[in-house]
Amino acid sequence: MRPHFFSRQTALGIALTALLLVFGSSGALAAVQGIEGPSFQLTAKTGSISTSDGESFLMWGYADASASGNNTMQYPGPTLIVNQGDVVTVTLTNSLPAEAGNTSIVFPGQVVTTSGGVPGVLTQEAATGGSVTYQFTATHPGTFLYRSGSQPDLQVEMGLVGAIVVYPSMGRSYAYNHEDARFDREFVLVITEMDPTIHRMVEYEEFNLIDTSAYYPTNWFANGRNFPDNLSDDFVPWLPHQPYKFNPRLHPGERVLVRSVSVGNQLHPFHYHGNDIEVIGEGGRLLSSGPGMGADLAWQAATRRTIPGQTADVMWTWNAEQLGWDIYDHQPGVDYPRAEIDTTWTGNICDNFDPLLYEPNTTTQLPAPGDPDYADLFDPFTNEYCPDHGTLFPVILPTRDSLSFGPYYAGTPFLGGEGELAPGDPGLNATAGYFYMWHSHTEKELTSNDIWPGGLVTFAIVEHPAVPLP
Amino acid sequence: MQLDNCNPAARRRPGQRKGNAMKAFRYYLPLILALFLLAVMPQTWASIAVQCPEDTDGIDADGDGDPANDIVCRHITGGDGFATMADGRRLYMFSFGDADDHQPLDPAGPPVEETPANKALEAELPAPRITLREGQELYLTMTNVSMVLRPDLFDPHSVHWHGFPNAAPIFDGLPEPSPTPNMMASFTYYYKAAHPGTYFYHCHVEAAEHMQMGMIGNLWVTPKQNELPDGTVLLGGFVHNAGNKYAYNDGDGSTFYDVEIPIQMTGMDSAFHDASEFVTPLMFAEMHDNYTMINGRGYPDTMDPNVIFNQDGTPGFGAQKTPTLIDLEQGQILLMRVSNVSTTHIYSMATTTGVPMKVVGRGAALLRGPTGEDTSFEVNVLNVGGGQAFDVLLDTQDVPPGKYFLYTTTLQFLANGDQERGGIMTEINVSAAP
Ligand SMILES: [Cu+2]
Repeated sequence: MRPHFFSRQTALGIALTALLLVFGSSGALAAVQGIEGPSFQLTAKTGSISTSDGESFLMWGYADASASGNNTMQYPGPTLIVNQGDVVTVTLTNSLPAEAGNTSIVFPGQVVTTSGGVPGVLTQEAATGGSVTYQFTATHPGTFLYRSGSQPDLQVEMGLVGAIVVYPSMGRSYAYNHEDARFDREFVLVITEMDPTIHRMVEYEEFNLIDTSAYYPTNWFANGRNFPDNLSDDFVPWLPHQPYKFNPRLHPGERVLVRSVSVGNQLHPFHYHGNDIEVIGEGGRLLSSGPGMGADLAWQAATRRTIPGQTADVMWTWNAEQLGWDIYDHQPGVDYPRAEIDTTWTGNICDNFDPLLYEPNTTTQLPAPGDPDYADLFDPFTNEYCPDHGTLFPVILPTRDSLSFGPYYAGTPFLGGEGELAPGDPGLNATAGYFYMWHSHTEKELTSNDIWPGGLVTFAIVEHPAVPLP
Repeated sequence: MQLDNCNPAARRRPGQRKGNAMKAFRYYLPLILALFLLAVMPQTWASIAVQCPEDTDGIDADGDGDPANDIVCRHITGGDGFATMADGRRLYMFSFGDADDHQPLDPAGPPVEETPANKALEAELPAPRITLREGQELYLTMTNVSMVLRPDLFDPHSVHWHGFPNAAPIFDGLPEPSPTPNMMASFTYYYKAAHPGTYFYHCHVEAAEHMQMGMIGNLWVTPKQNELPDGTVLLGGFVHNAGNKYAYNDGDGSTFYDVEIPIQMTGMDSAFHDASEFVTPLMFAEMHDNYTMINGRGYPDTMDPNVIFNQDGTPGFGAQKTPTLIDLEQGQILLMRVSNVSTTHIYSMATTTGVPMKVVGRGAALLRGPTGEDTSFEVNVLNVGGGQAFDVLLDTQDVPPGKYFLYTTTLQFLANGDQERGGIMTEINVSAAP
């Protein structure tokens, strides 16, 4: 049987990916979008964002005012990237309209000293047109956040929020200083919501009509974007004030770190389709029973409630384990050379696996995660789950006229497979990747200001091993 | 082939016929229209089919000693119907119905092609419960029988097994990356139940709408530890006796229970359901559940041992089959399979027994760290977000005989619409040990 790896669709996908590599803003594996420290110049200023219901809303947000920055207000603010041990300096300039009053930044979980500015309730503030400087030592690795400490009920809602990533001394493939915290790819997810009434009142300068105690959000965001805007690439020109996408893409078996940052007013039960998450850190601390114990208090679930002001480090992977059928449509008794996927690879897929060792109905149990033999269950190159290698697809799919097709259905149940699309199908899944919705399970939040679909929805995509990823 | 045990008492009342003159008059026109559409589209009949292979591999995958009962086939419908709230108000709903009584799963039943006609307006709240043994394979056929009261809609439906590890999009029920069955068509989902736990399922088509409308149900996988030989000694000296039941493969008996009960919390927003029934614009931003329920009923209906019929001057259809009656003998351990499938709210729950609840599972996973650390915990109040599921043990050893309540501490939800003392609440009756 002809392998599917170089189908017309896959070739198109490779071409598209190559284009992204050339024109995309980041080429490094596992890099998060953000600005490098340890010194930051931020300006608080106004700008407008677009929502998926076709509206635009006035925001207050942070801009990167450094020499290398574009000084454009963005929602959420620039992700601040530093290394453990850095002495971090953040200088904030208040370019908000005078009606906004003073502004400031608080850094929950950090011990901060300030210089300049004027006294405020929580910290030193920058008066209109003025500046203030904050300094802290990034003693702990992990995921943190920053936000306004002045009139936060209004200013946080208006968009003065951002994420902080502190890399551990073990390096940038780790969330914390332990092997349990190693990842292949990482993504920052900032969850916020919006009450549009407040933004309209600010826009119309009706400040005395704003009542944040009557807060009633009707729009929800992943990295400041609604679905489907959050699938568009980083820094697309049509979203100048919402530069960060949230669209994790990975190969089977890779470990993805989601740096979850919740900085609105609501709890959101955030549900990960495709597989359970493993929560290894919360609030910038590894979930560990003691030094050197690793993430032994990590917990798994399909849904985690995000808590306002809390960060979490969430691991996710997908490897088709125990699915019961071959996701590549490999036929029994046929050899599939690995070189058809990558010319530098040798041997045949799953030739490392001896099915006789795991004959069903014997006392031999399949090794579980953590067992030394667990890795033997997977192809070392493609990560295919070998006990299902060559196991046929279990059902007959109905004919096309009985079905509705979604825009991310490639016309095939197989990863990287070749399928026929229905007439008029937009074909938004040229590589036949596996799309998994990650979303709020308070399902009304899957809307943007009363319009379905929208809101707090995004997709992660598992791609065929032949599809290059940035 | 093994058919799951849906509550036999929940079956149709004797003498009741579907689609006959006992349906309320308001049903007639759309029903006739739907049947007319069926009649003029004969080619679509062929797309109603149930796939159910025989278990002939000779392998005892679920470990119960029988190598021929590892395939479970179920047939559910996706469609519409009515549910009766505890204050007597009827709400229009979408949900799944039970079609196991048709061929081929019931060889004596009507032909499978008659499913849409026979099952019109027979959606259930919650949807039919699915229980599997670890190692079993589920062939779950869902036939979209159309929404009789909404002939303007052409919605597909889907099944999303919430929390299924390593799901493939083709069987994940998401309409964006997978095909979903149109009206008058069937789709067979396949799942290998490799991980025990408390799950649930729901439709994922326009989920804010279809879940609010009621397309939710319980789905459990029991662990292989239940099938151990009599007298097996577990860690810590716990002796397994035949018939013992556990929530998970704990290895030490720590999730043993005597009695299990679903606590599926949800709510309905009557304004949204009325808007759907009368084809007026749906209000998502203002969605707010004013009828909160356990297993599709508000208190005191949670205590009603009988099927609740959606009567409208006629017996109607028994759409709400799941009471939440908790009768325990002192000393028994209760397993509550808790989930929240509300589209609008996070609920907290507690009991008045005075003893804490022990949370042993979360998200269909035993509460153990990666290295086996016991991460179970005791609470007096459990907070459950939409999409979350918990396995909660209540040990009545120190609970004197008497009547207690299980209720939501989110007190505003102790109501059925405007009627107070309702909503997410039921009674726990503890009797003296014999
Ligand atoms: Cu549906």
